Amino acid sequence: MQPLELILARNLISTISVAALLVDADRRIIFFNQAAADVIGAPFEEIGVLEPQEWNAKYGPLGPDGRPLPEEELPIAIAVREARPAFGRFAVRAERGVIQIEMGAVPLTGPRGYHGAMLVFWPLPGEESSG
Amino acid sequence: MNITFWGVRGSIPTPGPECTGVGGNTPCVQVGCDDGTRVILDAGSGIRGLGTALEPGGGPLHILLTHLHLDHIQGLLFFAPFFDDEAEITVWGPPGGGRTLRERLARYLSSPLSPVEIRELPAQVSFRDVPPDPWRLGDCELSAALVAHRGPTLGYRIEAGGCALCYLPDHEPGLGVDMSATPGEWISGFGLAQDADLLIHDCQYFDDEYREHVGWGHSRLADVHEFAVHAGAERTLLFHHDPGHDDAALDGMSREATQLWSANGNGGEVAVACEGDELRLASS
Repeated sequence: MQPLELILARNLISTISVAALLVDADRRIIFFNQAAADVIGAPFEEIGVLEPQEWNAKYGPLGPDGRPLPEEELPIAIAVREARPAFGRFAVRAERGVIQIEMGAVPLTGPRGYHGAMLVFWPLPGEESSG
Repeated sequence: MNITFWGVRGSIPTPGPECTGVGGNTPCVQVGCDDGTRVILDAGSGIRGLGTALEPGGGPLHILLTHLHLDHIQGLLFFAPFFDDEAEITVWGPPGGGRTLRERLARYLSSPLSPVEIRELPAQVSFRDVPPDPWRLGDCELSAALVAHRGPTLGYRIEAGGCALCYLPDHEPGLGVDMSATPGEWISGFGLAQDADLLIHDCQYFDDEYREHVGWGHSRLADVHEFAVHAGAERTLLFHHDPGHDDAALDGMSREATQLWSANGNGGEVAVACEGDELRLASS
């Protein structure tokens, strides 16, 4: 059974049109919405739950040199480490090539502690490059 | 496990001749386990009648609060065992906000809202946050989980003698989710209700009333049905009746529910919970 904080977050991101992911306390990607699926090119039902290493290898994020960014620099890592929302700009591999995005991560902490995080991202206009 | 309903109404006590059939007291359900363990679910105005009916000296009492909305705690001060210096009572409730359950309840049980302060209660009373993992009281195994409602709110599951009771008096599992297309682990309260012999569930609204109350933390009949079927509950009792629903309205809800459950199958039995109802859960 998932904790209520994750259930409600999933309900919310299922409803909104901004691309969003849900990660659990182990940073596994346990859900993403249709808007995120439109960016990466496959629905959650097809991809399923991904370990963070699988996600990073498949989609990034990538630094300016095209190599994967160190995990501790990602917004999710900062959000968890410092228990606050964190933001970042980087590239990801999307269906239409490598694109620049901005991402915000919000830790989902309830009375029972930390359960995961909600990540919201949006492509930056005019920064698309071919992958 | 013997179950007695002392209060089935939601929001505010609803006295008056038009509600005498179903009852007007706010939530309180007594659960008596066969080994003598005594559990009380919520402390709405119905707990006053229970307190006067309990024999003194029957052993420890455990009051399990789902949350601290007034309709679930307003009977505390009128629960006779609190004024018996030999009574031993543990009040369990949701964790929250860095303040103890006692501190949170003291906001209500103190001046100017109350003539009696918590510290003045003669009984031996302790206050405990529910543990994150299942715990035991006598032969009963209890589990609690936060569920979809406004503010930190628990649902409970009590298992004893091979039977399972699930209590979700204030619950809106259908908010923002199509339950029929969602795996159970992603539905609020599902783990507590799965395969329960008895599911006591919020059904504050008829389906047409729900449109004006989405997000208020309560359920419509169609969602209760979907939830009960999905969870595989053997029997469902509709609970936390809206103060605006008199006996005639709840008769109508009972008819609608019966049609819904029988038309779709696999949902077990359904009825409207009434004050004074007594039933026994026993493994066959």
